[in-house]
Amino acid sequence: MEKEAILELRNIRKVFDKTVALDSVSFSLYPGEIHGLLGGNGAGKTTLMNILYGLYRKDDGEIDFHGKKLNIQGPRDAINHGIGMVHQHFLQIGNYTVLENIVLGTNVAHPGTMKLDAEANKIIELGNRFRLPVDPNAVVDTLPVGTRQKVEILKALYRGVEVLILDEPTTNLTPQEVDDLFESLRVIVNEGLSIVFITHKLREVLHVCDRITVLREGRNITSLTRAEASEEIFVRAMVGDQMNIEDSVYFSHGSMANTAVDESSNPALEMQNVSWKTKEGISRLSGLNFQIKRGELFGVAGVAGNGQRELAECVTGVIIPTDGRILMDGRDVTALPVCELLKGRISYIPEDRLHDGFLPKANVAQNLILGYHRQKPYCEGVFIKWNTVYDKVRDAIGEYKIKTNGPEDPGGNLSGGNIQRVMIARAFSMDSQVLVAHNPTRGLDIPSMDFVYNKMLERKKTGAATLLISEDLDELLLICDRVAVLYRGQIVGILDRKDFDKYAIGRLMSGIQAEETADLRAAS
Amino acid sequence: MTIVRKIAPYVIAIIASFAAAGIFIALTGANIFQAYETILFTSFRTPNGFVQTLLKFIPLTLQALAFTIPLTAGKFNMGGEGQMIVGAIAASAVGIVGADLPAFILLPLVILAGVAAGALWGLIPAYLLYKFNINEILTSMLLNFVSFQIIDLVATGPWRDPVAGHPTTVQIGQGGFLPMLIKNPPLNAGLILALLVAAAVYLYTSRTTGGYELVATGANPRAAAVFGINVKRMFVFSIVLAGGIAGLSGVIEVAGVQHRLIVGLQHNFLVLGVIIALIARGNNLAVPFVAFFIAILEIGASAMQRTMNVPIEMVFIVEALVLLFVLLSDVVRRR
Amino acid sequence: MESLITFLRLTLLSMVPFVLAAQGTMLGGRAGVFNVAQEGIMLVGASLGFIGSYLAGGSTLVGILAAMLVGGIFGLALAYFTTSLKMNQFVIGLSLLFIGTGLSTLIPKLVIGVTLSQPLIPTLKDLPIPLLSNIPFLGRVLFSHNILVYFSILLSIGLWYFLFRTQLGLELRSVGENPNAADSLGINTSKHRYVTAVLGGMLIGLAGAYLPMVYTGTFTEGMVKGRGWLTIALTFFAGWSPLPVLYGSLFFAGIEVASYRFQAGGIAIPYQYLLMVPYLATILVMMFTFRKTRVPGFLGNNYDREKRSL
Repeated sequence: MEKEAILELRNIRKVFDKTVALDSVSFSLYPGEIHGLLGGNGAGKTTLMNILYGLYRKDDGEIDFHGKKLNIQGPRDAINHGIGMVHQHFLQIGNYTVLENIVLGTNVAHPGTMKLDAEANKIIELGNRFRLPVDPNAVVDTLPVGTRQKVEILKALYRGVEVLILDEPTTNLTPQEVDDLFESLRVIVNEGLSIVFITHKLREVLHVCDRITVLREGRNITSLTRAEASEEIFVRAMVGDQMNIEDSVYFSHGSMANTAVDESSNPALEMQNVSWKTKEGISRLSGLNFQIKRGELFGVAGVAGNGQRELAECVTGVIIPTDGRILMDGRDVTALPVCELLKGRISYIPEDRLHDGFLPKANVAQNLILGYHRQKPYCEGVFIKWNTVYDKVRDAIGEYKIKTNGPEDPGGNLSGGNIQRVMIARAFSMDSQVLVAHNPTRGLDIPSMDFVYNKMLERKKTGAATLLISEDLDELLLICDRVAVLYRGQIVGILDRKDFDKYAIGRLMSGIQAEETADLRAAS
Repeated sequence: MTIVRKIAPYVIAIIASFAAAGIFIALTGANIFQAYETILFTSFRTPNGFVQTLLKFIPLTLQALAFTIPLTAGKFNMGGEGQMIVGAIAASAVGIVGADLPAFILLPLVILAGVAAGALWGLIPAYLLYKFNINEILTSMLLNFVSFQIIDLVATGPWRDPVAGHPTTVQIGQGGFLPMLIKNPPLNAGLILALLVAAAVYLYTSRTTGGYELVATGANPRAAAVFGINVKRMFVFSIVLAGGIAGLSGVIEVAGVQHRLIVGLQHNFLVLGVIIALIARGNNLAVPFVAFFIAILEIGASAMQRTMNVPIEMVFIVEALVLLFVLLSDVVRRR
Repeated sequence: MESLITFLRLTLLSMVPFVLAAQGTMLGGRAGVFNVAQEGIMLVGASLGFIGSYLAGGSTLVGILAAMLVGGIFGLALAYFTTSLKMNQFVIGLSLLFIGTGLSTLIPKLVIGVTLSQPLIPTLKDLPIPLLSNIPFLGRVLFSHNILVYFSILLSIGLWYFLFRTQLGLELRSVGENPNAADSLGINTSKHRYVTAVLGGMLIGLAGAYLPMVYTGTFTEGMVKGRGWLTIALTFFAGWSPLPVLYGSLFFAGIEVASYRFQAGGIAIPYQYLLMVPYLATILVMMFTFRKTRVPGFLGNNYDREKRSL
């Protein structure tokens, strides 16, 4: 490829507080290509692109665009130069319409009356051209994730971008929606635009990208065209030498999973017709029935927002089912308060660690005993034994490789990955019959993900059960014994490991009923 | 080393605020250094000055704790003034009605009534928060204005002391007086009560499981709830406890200092209490020390107004500036 | 009939400080800055409005400008500490509240000195609107007021149009809802927050100046009497929208006027009960409306672009 690069980032450096996020990273983009930016969490992919988009300020390095030096002070400069970015967490105003979200920040034809007919027509036209149909007058909060992503891409296209950056765009999409997205991306580059595709999923880059750059711990590792690439090269590039790939669960393609479960005794967890409605009477879970055996790793798949959080909170006692029963080891635990369940029955890794699991204003020790503070050995009568707590916490910091100054370090000083380690250390610090883990590996780098998978697989040996709720279908297929699919608060199918099929699960995730799935399979 | 680093921002803040106030004092034509000297040393020049300072210290400490305890749970009690007034009213009511009772019965009743009344007054915003999820800052603040009318009502009612020019009730029974630690200048046992309360609050929040739950609730109520802490109960408990402590400060004003109910006994204690609590950054251990410092400034301010004709508000501005500069030191440290 | 006209007239007259202060609060809140210093800013506005007018030989205009200037300075301080220095909005608001309260009594003492009776300034004159003021009933209720009454009504309508019918309004609201999104589209979030906080402070300062300029002709210590706090409650249950703020102000003013009218009417209830009514009524209204109203999504928070989402 002897084309001239339209965009060149050279020797970019970025330091947050004292941690070096990017260390002399370079990146180039050719016109009309989809360029994959691959790496584990914390590799610096998003940081690099946030610098290009003007959200972060670089500490050093240069950016050339069309051969000219580019000085980007903020997103406005990036947009004016034709650079657009779709963030992993959509940056949308929930109570605005699609139309208002898209025109926000641009000069509209009638700024004094806000008659937006011309703008609406342009959006519909763009949607048709790039296969991204949306209703301009829909309120964003009411839309499903897949549609909101289309809005986000249209926002960039509406501004006439030349370079489109997509940050982990496949999170929360079903396999079918991922295929549709990839098709749209092809249409977009065929019209002459260039795309930067940030992801940690190897298979996706091999599937859709023309060229691939791998980052690790804030450094360039390699940059190859798809023709030159092979899976092994990328695996090695992503994890480096610190990890033994042969022994890892992450790269094992599921061969480490072991479906032996204890069928003889009472199930560790049994859901009987569990339903939950909000105060306003909106049904979030309806008629859930399933059992988790001792020693079983039971997965729950689904697009985010289909009742996963409510399921996790019903099992952990945070909310009480409005109907049905929950049994543990044959005993009814439906209305038991959380603090009782945490005594040996349940441990919990919540999905939204910052809001549901972490005390940023308290120190690491206070965080690690949350929920267990009324249990031995942490307390004696009404007093907390801080010396014992600190000893235990120091052990946990070592075992779970939490980067911190010690038990009395304020939680707010920890990075996202380290907060997740605290969540995991807490959940594993006391024995439990059932571990409820909701997106437990979000924000972790590959070796840490591997560590968590090993921990969960270890639980099987002791006969402890795990309920793994995850938005990452690959993760579920990797280690679970069975996977249930949650759609609009209902379980629409439970598959055994031998029947695992990504597209079949994907169809269930998008609400196509199990029978139809069977029909489709028979027909093909 | 760490203690130096902790205290340094306070020292800088104090110097900076005094410097800023110096400009104003100079504008009034007064001698700046004489003014500084009066503000800082009046408390230590005479025994009376020192006792006056301690008498200020008592309500200031209690008012500040009435703010820091809910703050630990992440809630703001702006009703310390109202809780104090209602506590004082209840204490005087019991003291007047039971005027003939012997001390060993009347005094406990007076204290109990005042504390209970303050706690009940705190229960109103707490309950509205619990039941209707109404912001406690507004309700507790608005209830202060209601309490101003109640105290006026009581002090101008049947118990009014006809001799006094200012709305005031008659004296409570002798049995309801707090014992004196020193006769002359008079220092009452309220000092011991305040110190005991401060120590108990510190022990509770830093060492007990209940205190841990209070801290966890304040650090992130949602996470605390997910992990089994009944945060709504912690909110209610913290505000009611604060109300009780503020009520106690009212009791001490009545049973220890004035021996009667006087309209306006709350002075500026709420605002000063909040300033103290925020300068102490919500740390219960630091509260008594900061309260003592503010008490010195307050006594100095009155002396300055008397002897030098410099308005007392000058010192109030200094106190607010100290708070602002202490808060600013956080920003400096972040950089 | 006559007493009804008087009641309605007085209600409109007493609505002004609530409208001005609540619209000021609302405006800042729409960009995410939650001001809680109203009580202090109104006091210092009242104090300087009075002093300004007094020093300028009774000029109302000078008084108004002085009050708005000091309100604007407080708004600027709030914006600087919260938006640029990222300090806690409530705590900074309280600090400014205290400083405002202190300054409000300090300044008259420094300028006028301690006197037995404060001097008086002329109060605002009524400006009947030609023709309209001759309409029976409505003319006296609606069209023969001082200029700030008209201003506060026009301001409310103007703010509504600005927020919901202009491009700038759309951008401003987006800053208060989700500054991350606004910033990523090149909207200058800090500028919006500064401008609205300063304008909001000016309105709140003006609201304070209204008290000596219309009600009393002089400044007295603590004369705002909790109206600043009532304003916050009002803004909340008006859902941070200009027109409901206007209606809510009428309601507050109505209660205020009613309790004074009762008092003047010589009804045999101790006046203290009547003086409690505005606060108790506010708490009561909050019980029924607090849950239903929506607040700007980012209200009370500070936005830091480079703070990494964890």
